[in-house]
Amino acid sequence: MHPSLRLCSARVHEPLIKFVGKRVWPTAPDPPHAHPQAPTELKEHFSDFLKKFQASSHAPHPAAPPGVQPKKPASPSGVNVQHVERYGEFWEAPAQFWRPRVRTLEDWEIDAIQTGGASLR
Amino acid sequence: MLQVQRSSRKAVARCVLRSSRRGYASGSEPYDAVIIGGGPGGYVAAIKSAQLGLRTACIEKRGSLGGTCLNVGCIPSKSLLNNSHLFHQAQHDFAKRGIDVSEVKVNLGQMMKAKEQSVTGLTKGIETLFKQNKVDYIKGTASFVSPTRIAVQLNEGGSTEVEAKNVVIATGSEVAPFPGGAIQIDEEQIVSSTGALALQKVPEKMVVIGGGVIGLELGSVWSRLGAEVTVVEFLGGIGGAGIDEEIAKQFQRILQKQGIKFQLNTKVLGAEKKDGKVYIKTEAAKGGKEATLEADVVLVSVGRRPVTEGLNLDKIGVEVDQKGRIVIDDQFNTTVQGVKCIGDVTFGPMLAHKAEEEGIAAAEYIKAGHGHVNYNAIPSVVYTYPEVAWVGKTEQELKAAGVQYKVGKFPFAANSRAKTNLDTEGQVKFLTEKETDRILGVHIIGPNAGEMIGEAVLAIEYGASSEDVARTTHAHPTLSEAFKEAAMAAYQKPIHF
Repeated sequence: MHPSLRLCSARVHEPLIKFVGKRVWPTAPDPPHAHPQAPTELKEHFSDFLKKFQASSHAPHPAAPPGVQPKKPASPSGVNVQHVERYGEFWEAPAQFWRPRVRTLEDWEIDAIQTGGASLR
Repeated sequence: MLQVQRSSRKAVARCVLRSSRRGYASGSEPYDAVIIGGGPGGYVAAIKSAQLGLRTACIEKRGSLGGTCLNVGCIPSKSLLNNSHLFHQAQHDFAKRGIDVSEVKVNLGQMMKAKEQSVTGLTKGIETLFKQNKVDYIKGTASFVSPTRIAVQLNEGGSTEVEAKNVVIATGSEVAPFPGGAIQIDEEQIVSSTGALALQKVPEKMVVIGGGVIGLELGSVWSRLGAEVTVVEFLGGIGGAGIDEEIAKQFQRILQKQGIKFQLNTKVLGAEKKDGKVYIKTEAAKGGKEATLEADVVLVSVGRRPVTEGLNLDKIGVEVDQKGRIVIDDQFNTTVQGVKCIGDVTFGPMLAHKAEEEGIAAAEYIKAGHGHVNYNAIPSVVYTYPEVAWVGKTEQELKAAGVQYKVGKFPFAANSRAKTNLDTEGQVKFLTEKETDRILGVHIIGPNAGEMIGEAVLAIEYGASSEDVARTTHAHPTLSEAFKEAAMAAYQKPIHF
């Protein structure tokens, strides 16, 4: 008889796999890190990457009208910061400031305008 | 926004599948996401972006979607691998199964047609998915004017510009030339993987330079169809990066039995075309002994390199590393805000499924600031016969890292289904952490390994132990029982071996 062996085999298996439930993203964006597959030297100097990334929003965009302040540095996650008040690009402003509140022109209307009315004949 | 020059307006109208947003040349809404490249990373990123409610366009210069994978890579090679395997079976395997056939011949033209049919069906399928998901498909070559504005030279003539709040670079990779330029690819006698998928006749002798995944797969195709294939590899083993050494050795033995010859630890010095043949000069990798190989066709499969040419990356400040890869963080941001990058053109293995995962994650980062790719759980598959597949760490990596590990193996020779199939070569090998039993790596060589590895990926993704797998019921009789038994071997003992 080998009671110790029997005790061993009677243990209850506790799975390592856990039910993770429904995936819900946290409200705050993830902070950026070095890419896991990046070469070691780039991982070690990730702060240089972040500096370049943040600096890329400091220069005014070539298409920005004079006097418009550049966009504040956004989080690297690409999520727009809600409290921005001045905009480097027109589409960054709320849509009511730039989306015309008129009905969309139909194709035949555009053609009519572009052909001077010839397409209606 | 699609700004259209007068001369090219009609061409653009044909290119852009969704015409309902047609508008004037200024003041229109920019795209939320523009994806440059319609390969597995790019098209998946485009579809996912659109599904997440982002107004999306995808710019692709090839003229058909799917990238290298669908057009000149994974898909056409799988078609040839599958059909050449059937031919080889009919010739060498049917008789022992009680099937007598006579006059089995290769109809290469028809085999190529079948390949093209698969490719066309799949690439057109992506166009349909674009339509269903309302992704604008622009056929042309993209280059950055600014981080938010992209100029496109349209394939049908003319040019246009698109404006985007977010851009994802997914331009993929291309065949790397032979180092030093000593061998020039002509895609007829000296071919890359692209040319090797479209040979007009079965060569008598074929030399494959590079014993990685592509070289072994395409070498197998032409070997099965009757070519005398010699694989020349600089390193001491085959199978490419990430393969377990024990599996690589078994793999080589099996391929040798099939008739493929190997010259390992051998350096190729150059190739000379003469009298319809190609003469390849080689020497031992450590120097010394020179030799010459004769071939009708030479396949150069020494790797791939990222494609960034023409994108104007320097103009907008996107940084690339010494290997030409675009530098990114773990959220796929490049050094320029609003410009992300995924797939072969950046870090990580050049695999279609890795690019797809990144495409989904990049879209999610744009939309929600969160995404997920587990680089420890990306499988690799060599679609030879038998297949070889692995995920996670190799024994060599664990030894190097000083990890205490256990090994569990189960041979297909002891699996009932493999026996009924008369297909018993290979094994499943588990590597687990000694203390916790957590699965660290799984390596399979054998029938259906490419499908079976999915279970291992799932196990690693969810941090399973080998006992978790071993206590899961697997249907009998199936090859997957070998997987379960290897897991049993890792934590206790298998039943059938």
